[in-house]
Amino acid sequence: MESSILDSIGVEIVGVMSPVSICMLLVVLLVYSLSSSSSAAPPIRTAANLVYMENPSDSISQKLEGALLNALVFVIFVAIVTFLLVLLYYYNFTNFLKNYMRFSAFFVLAMIGGSIFFSIVQHFSIPIDSVTCFLLLFNFAVVGVLSLFSAGFPIILRQAYMVALGIFVATWFTKLPEWTTWTLLVALAVYDLVAVLAPGGPLKLLVELASSRDEELPALVYEARPTVSRNVENRGPPLGLLVAGVSDSGSVELQAISQENSGRIQNENRGGTEFTAVEVGSFVNERGESGEDEEERSPLVGNTRGRLSLSSDSSDYSTVVAAQSSRARPSGGAENGEAVDEEMSPLVELMEMGNEREVTREGLEISNRGIKLGLGDFIFYSVLVGRAAMYDLMTVYACYLAIISGLGCTLILLSVHRRALPALPISIALGVLFYFLTRLLMEPFVVGTATNLLMF
Amino acid sequence: MTVAAGIGYALLALGPTVSLFVSVISKKPFLILTVLSSTLLWLISLIVVSGLWRAFLPLKSDAWWLYGILLFTAVAFQEGLRILFWKLYKKLEDILDAFADRVSKPRLFLTDKMQIALAGGMGHGLAHAVFFCLSLLTPAFGPATFFVDNCSRIPFFLVSAIIALAFVTIHTFSMVIAFNGYAERNKVDQYFVPIVHLVAAMGTLVNFASGGCIIGIPILYFVTILTLLHCGKMVWRRLTEDRSRQSNSL
Repeated sequence: MESSILDSIGVEIVGVMSPVSICMLLVVLLVYSLSSSSSAAPPIRTAANLVYMENPSDSISQKLEGALLNALVFVIFVAIVTFLLVLLYYYNFTNFLKNYMRFSAFFVLAMIGGSIFFSIVQHFSIPIDSVTCFLLLFNFAVVGVLSLFSAGFPIILRQAYMVALGIFVATWFTKLPEWTTWTLLVALAVYDLVAVLAPGGPLKLLVELASSRDEELPALVYEARPTVSRNVENRGPPLGLLVAGVSDSGSVELQAISQENSGRIQNENRGGTEFTAVEVGSFVNERGESGEDEEERSPLVGNTRGRLSLSSDSSDYSTVVAAQSSRARPSGGAENGEAVDEEMSPLVELMEMGNEREVTREGLEISNRGIKLGLGDFIFYSVLVGRAAMYDLMTVYACYLAIISGLGCTLILLSVHRRALPALPISIALGVLFYFLTRLLMEPFVVGTATNLLMF
Repeated sequence: MTVAAGIGYALLALGPTVSLFVSVISKKPFLILTVLSSTLLWLISLIVVSGLWRAFLPLKSDAWWLYGILLFTAVAFQEGLRILFWKLYKKLEDILDAFADRVSKPRLFLTDKMQIALAGGMGHGLAHAVFFCLSLLTPAFGPATFFVDNCSRIPFFLVSAIIALAFVTIHTFSMVIAFNGYAERNKVDQYFVPIVHLVAAMGTLVNFASGGCIIGIPILYFVTILTLLHCGKMVWRRLTEDRSRQSNSL
């Protein structure tokens, strides 16, 4: 029996949603198991609450005002750092940026990961001696940095570390006071919208800059690669094709980029300018297949894509345009700064997946199936869900559904517009809306009926 | 007892759904998306219904007829939503078929359509179980348990898990029945589903009487089994018809 089209539709969407779901699930579990033990944790001081320290006894207007100020300061801070990164990138301080990212990834994995690890050890009374613990932690962090920033590691490891980074920072951020968290999330979503879409927005500048040079900055961006094995095999040294945008906090971008089968691209590259007739023939076959492939996947993500790729058959060889954005972190060496940055960088991108050479001919742009989601998205989604987990499980489910559906909407928009899009605004708006609707309307209703054993 | 009991209650309510999800749904990403969107739709319906009733809450616990009206509005609203869901699905089916033509793949098979209906129903059921059972389970992970007055022999969490299991099953399979009824314009199936839903919901009103859950739960499971049998019979009929049509055409 021939396989039906149901088997292939939506693969890339689920490929992005499942790591996000895993990240949120783990954050909720962490928040749940750890918050009960250390209920009276001292408030933390970060860049996110420089101005105002929330105090449960303050009046509502005081809290609101303070939280708004905090969010404003944080967003301004993020914006400044982003512009700084754009400047650094513009003047080609790529090495500095790369090393900075390595440093901060190491820092987050070792310090924040370590502190979470310690509280787990404490809470569950796990017997472990300090030497073993230190060794494990150090190895964990080193492997993490290597797998995140160098080629040759299995993509699954890289994805796992990306999710781990998201979990650590998100868990750390759930320690912010409640009002500040909400205003911060909303402010970042708005900032994200402006930074990615407005002309002159820092993230937009970065992405454009990056795609005008054909290079890639190492960025903390989650890549959903449906074809894991192929990509791993083909992974050569990066040819310097990645386009890097450095984005800063809060920005998530979705970008549709074209990707060809890496095999095809490599052939093309190898073939150089002269293709023999044989090669051309084989290409056509390959292309036909891949075109179909793409088509197949496209009703949910990008119908246009498939068509384009088909049309490229008749034209010459494929063109691949990769766009990507990377995220940058602020350079405050302090722990606060670090965490802040980490947090900040959500980017979602549809990107060219392989490191293969990007070939642009004839200006055709075909998008492929790699979708990239910035780490910042992971973090802020999880912060929202983690904050909801402190109230009740019901709000967690509602927020989860809202965020996932917002992500789905963003992906569909991505397939329509085929440019970098902010992934935070829709999801965060829906998440916040559903949180308050659930808390104010639904919970008393459901508890009232369910405790009377009434259901429908 | 604590964590084990909590997990046990959760699995009692959701075990069959989880195994169905793993064995059928999780292999096809599109079905996962269907489950998610249908869950979201059900959540929205719950929020709207609770928004309508929010002003009257909390109801007096002796005014069972008020709860009856509440259940009736909720069921009516959700059945309306099912028709909306069907219309959306119809559009989606056209898009998918057009897409299949374009990539020269076969159109949706009958089993595909049924799986989409199953996924849609499962989303409804999942949302029900999550919001009415799982989200109240948090205390069950602690050291104590909880009893309600009207059903004082069985822990509340156990009762709600059992009821949730029945409703998950009803929701899941009645969507298959309903979609099939709409597709065939079969009046019996079209009315069967809302009636079953209403009867099941009204059956829980029995729980108001002291000790009523002894009677209410068997009624509920009777309705559940009826739904299952009807769904099984209908699917069997469709599949055999389909097969004979295929062999005729060959």
